[in-house]
Amino acid sequence: MRVLIQLRPTPDVVAAVADPGVTTTTADVSDGLPGVVLDNSFVPVAVPRPVPATGGDPLSLNQALTFSLAAEHASVLVRGEISDDELSTRLTLLPNTRSDVIGVHADPVIESSIVCGGDAPVGDWHDVERLLRVADLRSEGLDGSGVPLAIVDTGINAAHVAQRIGHTPIIDARNSWNPSGVSGSAGDFDVDHGTMCAFDALISAPKASLIDIPVLLSRRPGGSAMDGLLSDAVAAFAHLRTVLDALPAATRSLVVSNSWGSFSPRWDFPVGHPGNYSDNAAHPFNLVVASLEQAGADVLFAAGNCGRECRDSRCAYPDRPIGGANSHPRVLSVAGVDTEGERVGYSSQGPGRLTQRKPDICAYTHFSGSGAFGDDEPDSGTSAACPVAAGLVSAIRTRWPASALSPSQLRALLRRTADDRGGVGFDYDYGYGVLDVAGILASLRRRDLRVA
Amino acid sequence: MVLITVRLPPQATLEQATRRLGLRDEEVDTGYDLVLIDPRRGLYGLRVTEAAAHRISPASCGGTGPHSDPRIEPYGPPR
Repeated sequence: MRVLIQLRPTPDVVAAVADPGVTTTTADVSDGLPGVVLDNSFVPVAVPRPVPATGGDPLSLNQALTFSLAAEHASVLVRGEISDDELSTRLTLLPNTRSDVIGVHADPVIESSIVCGGDAPVGDWHDVERLLRVADLRSEGLDGSGVPLAIVDTGINAAHVAQRIGHTPIIDARNSWNPSGVSGSAGDFDVDHGTMCAFDALISAPKASLIDIPVLLSRRPGGSAMDGLLSDAVAAFAHLRTVLDALPAATRSLVVSNSWGSFSPRWDFPVGHPGNYSDNAAHPFNLVVASLEQAGADVLFAAGNCGRECRDSRCAYPDRPIGGANSHPRVLSVAGVDTEGERVGYSSQGPGRLTQRKPDICAYTHFSGSGAFGDDEPDSGTSAACPVAAGLVSAIRTRWPASALSPSQLRALLRRTADDRGGVGFDYDYGYGVLDVAGILASLRRRDLRVA
Repeated sequence: MVLITVRLPPQATLEQATRRLGLRDEEVDTGYDLVLIDPRRGLYGLRVTEAAAHRISPASCGGTGPHSDPRIEPYGPPR
């Protein structure tokens, strides 16, 4: 762990550090501390001492104070690192064994340029292609051929996807489905959010068969423009169950990408009510999700855009914004990182409502891709991260159907091989980490050898 | 409107469901129809008015409800 160590060296050293005309180094301040690897690139910093007025409390910061950089008052900060497995011991011992050590403080990573909604794209979809090692996937024949991939969203415009990605996507019109009252043909909807999702899924699974499910176009009583009702998703998943059941059991697979959710508890029954959705695994939609997964489908949900640093203005949950099916134990909840591997500030953080350990993993977002919202606009939101991950799952399914690798086994594999970010192991920002294709492929090869 | 669930035999129809639950036509979203939620358990879902959901007892038919039917929206682009 990186730490800042507060020292009180001799007054002449303090005076030198505090003097802007003198250059000092960590070696000038300390000749070493047991168990600490000092960072010699860090220029020591003088820390003024808070001084209360005459008669004031010497221990309180809640009073009128002056700050003294006088050599007999000030202290000096240096930077170093303590091994994680010695941390608690060293934190206790250092101030007791070294009289010049007056404090050891955390030195957390600070991010000054975290990506938020409205920011320019970070990289483009070819960067995502490179990061997902699509060339390696293709050399192994993992391109999504024959894998049904449902985009549950606002509908797909196949012509736009073809023009942007450079090949004609395969639209499985026979298995596509519209909610009642929604007209339009599979692959022929207006360019919008669903088109972005289709494009992003095809980055790593260019030959997947897209099933177009425009639930968010529903105009059922109670809905409004550009949203749907959860009952439409219940019906959509029931339809997908019939699609899955019609496939041969030995080679069956179905990947379902869901870049949507419910932003507000205002539309839900209160938590604790038996009909509530957000926190209730017995809600009909949560049941149909479990049923579809049990039948062999890989179900992916976006974690949401309610991250603390720059949440979407529609977010109305006061805390724990990953709820309902987005936090379901049988789905993969996908958070977002940019193409530099940094979490985007709007990506929702756990714990989840149905399952605490959410999100599961991170995939790429906020890159220049489909141009569905304009040439200069990024494919953004965890809305983009979810289909990016769904495309990778579809690529894997080219060779490993659900009969060979169950949806729960595949989720475990993705979590286990993820590139750990943030805190060690699982954390509520990155989940288990960023999807790591090299690790996934190596693990699948080892698995094949064991099975053989 | 709200969602309710009911247990019915395989290949059940909306008409069977409404008859079993004692629902009137105007209380049911017929456009939504009857949706199979879990084939293993014979569990179906339908949309009914909130008043109807409170008047009838889905539990008497092995079902549950009323359940919320919240709005859902795309998770992007962030606003």
